[in-house]
Amino acid sequence: MKFEKKRATTKQEIPTASMPDIVFMLLLFFMVSTTLREVDVLVQFKLPEAEAIEKIENKRLISYIWVGNNGNIQLNDNLVKLEEVRPIMYSKRVQLPNVIVSLRVDKNSDMGIVTDIQQELRKADARRINYSAMLKQ
Amino acid sequence: MVLLKKKGSRSAEIPTSSMADIAFLLLLFFLVATVIDVDTGIGLTLPEYLPPEEQEVVPLSKDRMAALLINENGDVLLNGEAIAIPQIKQNLIERIKSKIDLPANKKLVVSIKTDRKTNYNLYIQALDQVKGAYHEVWEEYSMANYGKKFDDLIPEESSLVREKIPISISIAEPEKI
Repeated sequence: MKFEKKRATTKQEIPTASMPDIVFMLLLFFMVSTTLREVDVLVQFKLPEAEAIEKIENKRLISYIWVGNNGNIQLNDNLVKLEEVRPIMYSKRVQLPNVIVSLRVDKNSDMGIVTDIQQELRKADARRINYSAMLKQ
Repeated sequence: MVLLKKKGSRSAEIPTSSMADIAFLLLLFFLVATVIDVDTGIGLTLPEYLPPEEQEVVPLSKDRMAALLINENGDVLLNGEAIAIPQIKQNLIERIKSKIDLPANKKLVVSIKTDRKTNYNLYIQALDQVKGAYHEVWEEYSMANYGKKFDDLIPEESSLVREKIPISISIAEPEKI
């Protein structure tokens, strides 16, 4: 009697022909659901927490002002002084009439700086604001 | 001379084996260069700016005014009485409800005033309580009148509710020191 090794006749490769399609689908998902990072944040801050918060639906309307834990104000890509807030915001408001200013203020800062920024925003007539806050767990 | 037709066995396919790698690279680029986080926060519309000489004092009757005062030590006064921040919501809900059927110029106005040294977090907590009170009254009102949650109302209904119970939060003019 002759013994013969049985050999599997099935192929041993994983089919990779559809891999690009899968990856492209993933890629499309990320392209649609995210927005491009526009600025580097130069200040350190921790947002306060709140319960009655709402989402801002339209990200393109938002313009950010950061206030860090050492009182620095960042607008666009660089740190600014308080007096510079008004002209910059005014030109933004002219370009985009219904701009929403999102104030990302560190939770340990004083109200004084927030009030000052609000006064500048009122003078620049950019009056829709949003105090950025995280959902309280 | 014999002209021989070249029997080309050239393959006419585009090599696609590296397509997946290219797509992965693109994917990685988008993962790194984009942000996915949603912006959440408390929305507010600031009052129009008027120079001090044009400002006029509009008298408000005591009963439609809820004055919140937060000082630098973290003490909170609601209409002159000391109150803890988590109690603001309950206190306001009743006052808002009692004014639902009054005309628009008789509804509650919440005024928030802070010192320059007040902690920002405290201010947000207080504002959160005020907003929360309004949201709760909205929810109750739409449950009672439409039998739905406020979020499920159609736009016409929800704007009616908003009109009936308008959020009017006034940020007090800062005082010059």
